[in-house]
Amino acid sequence: MVHIDNTQAVRTATPTILDGYRAIPGTYDELVEAGGATRPHARMVGSLLANMSADSFARCQALAELSLAQRGVTFSVYSDDRGTEKVMPVCLVPRVIGATEWARLEKGLVQRLTTLQLFLDDLYGEQKALRDKVMPTDLLLGSKHYLPQLRGMKPPGGVRIHIAGIDLIRSPDGVLRVLEDNLRTPSGVSYVIENRLITKRVFPAAMDRIGVRRVDDYPTQLVERLRSVSPEDPEKSTIVVLTPGPFNSAYFEHSFLARSMGIELVEASDLFVSGDEVFVRTTLGPRRVHVIYRRTDDAYIDPEFFRPDSMLGVPGLMRAWAAGKVTLANAPGNGVCDDKAIYPFVPDLIRYFLSEEPIIEQVDTKVCARPEDCKYVLEHLDQLVVKAVDEAGGYGMLMGPTASAAELDMFRDRIIADPRRYIAQHRIELSTCPTWVPEERRIEPRRIDLRPFILTGKQGSWVLPGGLTRVALRAGSYVVNSSQGGGSKDTWVQAQADAAS
Amino acid sequence: MISRVADHCFWLGRYIERAESTARLLQVTRILAFDAELPPLYCWRPLVIVSGQYPDLAENLGAEAAGDGEAVQRYMTWAPDNHVSIRSSIRAGREGARSIREVIGHDIWQATNELYLWFMSEGAAAQYLNDRDEVYRNVRRSTQLALGLMRSTMMHDEAMDFLWLGVMIERLGQTARTLDMHHHIRGAAEAQQQPLLQSALWLSLLRACSGFEAYMRKQQGRVSGENVLGFLLFENRFPRSLRYCLRSALGLVKRLPSLGNRGVASARKRLDTLDHWLDEQEKSGVPSSEHALLTRIVDETGAACGELQGGLEGEEPAPAATQTQSQ
Repeated sequence: MVHIDNTQAVRTATPTILDGYRAIPGTYDELVEAGGATRPHARMVGSLLANMSADSFARCQALAELSLAQRGVTFSVYSDDRGTEKVMPVCLVPRVIGATEWARLEKGLVQRLTTLQLFLDDLYGEQKALRDKVMPTDLLLGSKHYLPQLRGMKPPGGVRIHIAGIDLIRSPDGVLRVLEDNLRTPSGVSYVIENRLITKRVFPAAMDRIGVRRVDDYPTQLVERLRSVSPEDPEKSTIVVLTPGPFNSAYFEHSFLARSMGIELVEASDLFVSGDEVFVRTTLGPRRVHVIYRRTDDAYIDPEFFRPDSMLGVPGLMRAWAAGKVTLANAPGNGVCDDKAIYPFVPDLIRYFLSEEPIIEQVDTKVCARPEDCKYVLEHLDQLVVKAVDEAGGYGMLMGPTASAAELDMFRDRIIADPRRYIAQHRIELSTCPTWVPEERRIEPRRIDLRPFILTGKQGSWVLPGGLTRVALRAGSYVVNSSQGGGSKDTWVQAQADAAS
Repeated sequence: MISRVADHCFWLGRYIERAESTARLLQVTRILAFDAELPPLYCWRPLVIVSGQYPDLAENLGAEAAGDGEAVQRYMTWAPDNHVSIRSSIRAGREGARSIREVIGHDIWQATNELYLWFMSEGAAAQYLNDRDEVYRNVRRSTQLALGLMRSTMMHDEAMDFLWLGVMIERLGQTARTLDMHHHIRGAAEAQQQPLLQSALWLSLLRACSGFEAYMRKQQGRVSGENVLGFLLFENRFPRSLRYCLRSALGLVKRLPSLGNRGVASARKRLDTLDHWLDEQEKSGVPSSEHALLTRIVDETGAACGELQGGLEGEEPAPAATQTQSQ
């Protein structure tokens, strides 16, 4: 890997890749202000780019991509029937978050997580919040991811949301807002750590000067938290990562996590349940398993309990969980919080459970299950983004402002047929970050989001400083999902606020 | 360790060793075909026969392809449907490494992955046309890098035992097949009545087993068929002789945990018996025709592998008769 950042400063006569970079009008840019000046906390990145020619950047970018391919940092796309792996596209221009903003964000994320944990405990327990009408009961109980058969079961170790990924976007007013919660099996953290390895090699001096908080702690923090929630003596517990297998789109991450935590990666067929205890088949015979970080969906973990047709499950696993003999991370049943129709009520839940005001804003949302909202949505369909409540990955979405008349009609029919399935939001002009455009050989603003990761164990919650910044690589696109043409960026959290900011 | 992972380790060792061995055999046979004034058919057809792929080649490319050096090399190097081609071995090895990345560690995975990416690249295809020897050298270098990394970066624990067992079993089979292949070539060459040719064939056989220099040092330059055969069959200090591979495999199998595992126990017994039998063969002198000896070794090793795998899968071992030698 070539180190370029202070050795290849270009002479003033050579055009640099930052020349002519402007924010899109009406959009917040993470690097530059509307007038074109670099934001104070990101000055280092600004001067780094201002010293690079297109040639030197292209060279670094090519080396980064080669390195990712050789390291096998890949994902597979479900729709691709050849089952090929693709390298996660990465843009080397980092996204910087100032220390002050991050400190506030961290508090807000922990507040949100604490609330959602209390809410799940209540939902699968006494259901006080429902009786107190914090949200419409039928909306909640009608959620596809609410699992009534889990009522009364308590997770071993007490924690339900061991690993959370909360998606945030920044609106034109500069405010970061929650877009959605991922409390089932959020993925992407391996790219955070791999991206950092790359930028460390390419921009060592800049990272040093800006003082970027490290991310390589994540596996240690995770395994300590998984150990803490074991139903038996944590020091004598066996922890494993459960993967659906090498054909899963996130297999690289499953393997990465097992490797970096020093624990075994198992497939469902390696596990079996006997007498409500879970065992792994080893060459020395069966060995008891205490904690399973499972990367399979609820529906596929136990064919006895959920889907009899599932080949991926471990028969009896839910029995063992209910008996308190094995910890599942995350706990089954969390999916109800990922339901986009529940999301609009989270601020009310924070007020209800913690008697606090929400620290992080979210996006104003119309819930089509409510007749007055539904009427509004149908009247303003061409201005709204409509999402199916139980879909993820950018699927099942209508982008009103750019949709064809036929698409609008199709969604109108669908909403009328099943209003519970849809919510709508005004399109947010997602903030942009300078992004390398290989065809143009220059940087241009592209829209981004941010997925911070929050880990929770008996020792409390820990927020990974930074998280996954996803970027819509196509000009004008708002879709950041890797399955639909998105890429990622390294996220730099400034260690200490400088005097100016 | 997890039984499934043990199985993956075993096969990773086999595929990596197989890719190395196939590349070496092609490399050496090319030189033989240039030098020895043998009709191409005599050089290339035995290579395909001992790989177990002659029926497949004849069916898909025609029997005459076995006499066409270019066709055989293409088939043994690139053919995706030939499950012992270099391409198939590299691909299977890489898939195996991918599924146990957390066990073998990043360096070994990356070495395997880089080999795969290079082999499938346009660069490798171009090099195959312009500088073929370098392609085979690259394959050998990269596979040896992976094998070296295993020995020097992994824990020498059970996972390593399974990996190395795979390497040794594969090598045993490859040396036996290479010996058998030369048995075929010599048979064909005897009709040629060229004394120098016989000597060239013995040297080629040593090169095909990476044993040229080791042999020469031991025998101080004296080349005789009996000595070469004795060296490749019985020399327990040469890491590709049948004796060395068999002893190593047996030692590894003896270390494997066999609590309640009938597969491991019967594989151990079978290899032990084979080892004693090989001792007796040495005492009674180098056989005049090694073909029967080699066949027995290949078949018995194949049967032992079947028992081991049956044990890992938690099943009763399959009857020996159903095991094939060309796994």
